[in-house]
Amino acid sequence: MIRFILADLRRLWLGGAVVILLVALATALGVAVTLQERSLRLGSARAADKFDLVVGAAGSETQLILSSIFLQPAPLPLVDGSVLTKLAADPRVSWAAPVGFGDSFGGYPIVGTTTSLINGTTTGFSAGKMFALEGEAVLGAAVDLSIGAEIKPMHGTAETGGHTHAGAAYKVVGKLQPTGTPWDRAILVPIQAVWHVHNLGHEHGEEEHHDEDGHDHAHEGEEGHGDTHADDAMEPTAQPAAQVATQRQEQKYAFALGAASSKHVEEEHHGAIDADAPIVETFGSFTPGLPAILVKPKTIADAYRLRQEYRSGSTLGVFPGEVLTSLYATLGDAKMVLSAVAAGSQGLVAAALVLVTVIHVGQRRRQIGALRAFGAPRSSVFLIVWLELFLLVALGVGIGFLIGLGAAHIGAQMFTAKSGVILPVGFTREDARLALILLGFAGILAAVPALLAYRQSPAQALRA
Amino acid sequence: MLSLKIENLAVTFPGLAAPVLEIDHLEIAAGSHVALTGGSGSGKSTLINIVAGLERIRTGRVFWGEQNLADLSEGKRDQWRAQNIGLVMQDFHLFPGLSALDNILLPARLSRVANAELLKRARTLFETVGLKRPEQHIETMSRGEMQRVAIARALLRKPGVIIADEPTASLDLESGEAVGDLLLSVAADAGSTLIVASHDQRLVERLGRRLSLKSGRIIGDVPVGEIAA
Repeated sequence: MIRFILADLRRLWLGGAVVILLVALATALGVAVTLQERSLRLGSARAADKFDLVVGAAGSETQLILSSIFLQPAPLPLVDGSVLTKLAADPRVSWAAPVGFGDSFGGYPIVGTTTSLINGTTTGFSAGKMFALEGEAVLGAAVDLSIGAEIKPMHGTAETGGHTHAGAAYKVVGKLQPTGTPWDRAILVPIQAVWHVHNLGHEHGEEEHHDEDGHDHAHEGEEGHGDTHADDAMEPTAQPAAQVATQRQEQKYAFALGAASSKHVEEEHHGAIDADAPIVETFGSFTPGLPAILVKPKTIADAYRLRQEYRSGSTLGVFPGEVLTSLYATLGDAKMVLSAVAAGSQGLVAAALVLVTVIHVGQRRRQIGALRAFGAPRSSVFLIVWLELFLLVALGVGIGFLIGLGAAHIGAQMFTAKSGVILPVGFTREDARLALILLGFAGILAAVPALLAYRQSPAQALRA
Repeated sequence: MLSLKIENLAVTFPGLAAPVLEIDHLEIAAGSHVALTGGSGSGKSTLINIVAGLERIRTGRVFWGEQNLADLSEGKRDQWRAQNIGLVMQDFHLFPGLSALDNILLPARLSRVANAELLKRARTLFETVGLKRPEQHIETMSRGEMQRVAIARALLRKPGVIIADEPTASLDLESGEAVGDLLLSVAADAGSTLIVASHDQRLVERLGRRLSLKSGRIIGDVPVGEIAA
């Protein structure tokens, strides 16, 4: 009987292939939607896992979380530096670390922070060591640079027309183990360096400031040359205009990206790091405004109390989880729409399958009649027709699951490459149920033509 | 080896006032060779379907030996036919994609009765009908060869009755004659009752008895000078 089915399928391979393809694509669509949504949910939850409480200035909770945990560049209002000082001294806090961002290098965000945050959120170094001097940097696991590399921070990102900070360069001294969070794509530098690059929070004297200013103006001029180098070579007269354009552009984007401090946009931002200065992680009264502070409370009760305390006035304490929950609600709505689309396509395919089977049975009536005329029992004929169709659909469902899994993996990889969030794509028991439902449906569907085969007398079938 | 007795048979189709077949009484002796003739619409095919158990009998009785086909359910009739009737049809109804030998064995396999002995018999029959390559795929064979395979298939389970519906109509003269010869000789060898519906005069003349049908009734029943086996 199997041989007969195989011979039959070989004969009808083209139609069979189309049926398999149809079923596979419809299944893949549904599976991919489900898997992608689930992995996005799990992945983002895991990414946020490491951060217990985020304190920022009053404003959008969602933006605070997206910027501080998912490192999405966007302007954030600044929270007063004294908040960090207060938090760091709070006995309920095990550590509190500032994050400063806005700069990038080679497409990787540069995040200014402290050693306690790195120690508190990562599992250690895969190579090298922690930064100890202002001019040193530590790489996230997914940053494609090597130890010893020199990093010239760019304000904003290259795609958005940022410019390189003059006179600032970090030397990579360590690389972290992967954490599966967007921070894997970050270049971590001492927060004090970020401040210095942006000319903030100087604890040094006024004179030094002046000195730096002058020094930097010179650099700015040089930099302008560098930026417009190509135009320069081709059309020297265009230079001043180009320079002005560059200048304008950078201001605009500085605002768009000015996460580090919206204030420094208006200013001429040009500071330099003192590469050999030891890092200081006690934050005194000179601490400048910060976009976000990540806090590790000692206990869960402390976490709730701190959140409550910092939710009044000018500060905003947020659990990443609560923001994610509301994001998931949105994600859930989107999933519902996608699922409806997927279900619609599955319905269409089911209808197409019914059509195919009806035609198929019409064409096979004679064959079925002949089989019975020559003495094949009805049960065998039923089984043949049913198995043939069921095999096709089951194969389609199987392939569809694989395609869906593959598509979800590709989607997840693309997402990981862009955001650093590792999306865990995988099947769960829920999917097994979906597969069973689909197969059950296929089984019933396949039984329809098989029953038709059952009901005809062989003479009737042969006359067809 | 089975005799046929038909009593008060009437076959009607929905939408048709007159019965397509009406036979009050007909007997065919076991082992005899009978030709059925008649134009299209004469009820010839219906009679073949009825005696082969392919069609349900609503009115009348059809006995093969002691078995009244009218008493059998659809499934039982299939089973009975598989055991007692060897069918040969005008367009063979062989299954492409399978070898000649697999085609011969297919009904037996689907009935789950194929065993080593039957497999051996299939190979012997394959030679008996004058073919050489049992593994040859059926779609690569000539029509004459195909009908030989169909005859071998009909004979596999040693049926008491062989029923052939226009076995030579789709063949050229030469293969038609050969297939006719083959049918007669295998039926004679096995002692099977042979019923052949045919237009083929040369074949009809070689059978022992000729039944003529017209408008669903038997209008002629004559013995023909068969070179008796």
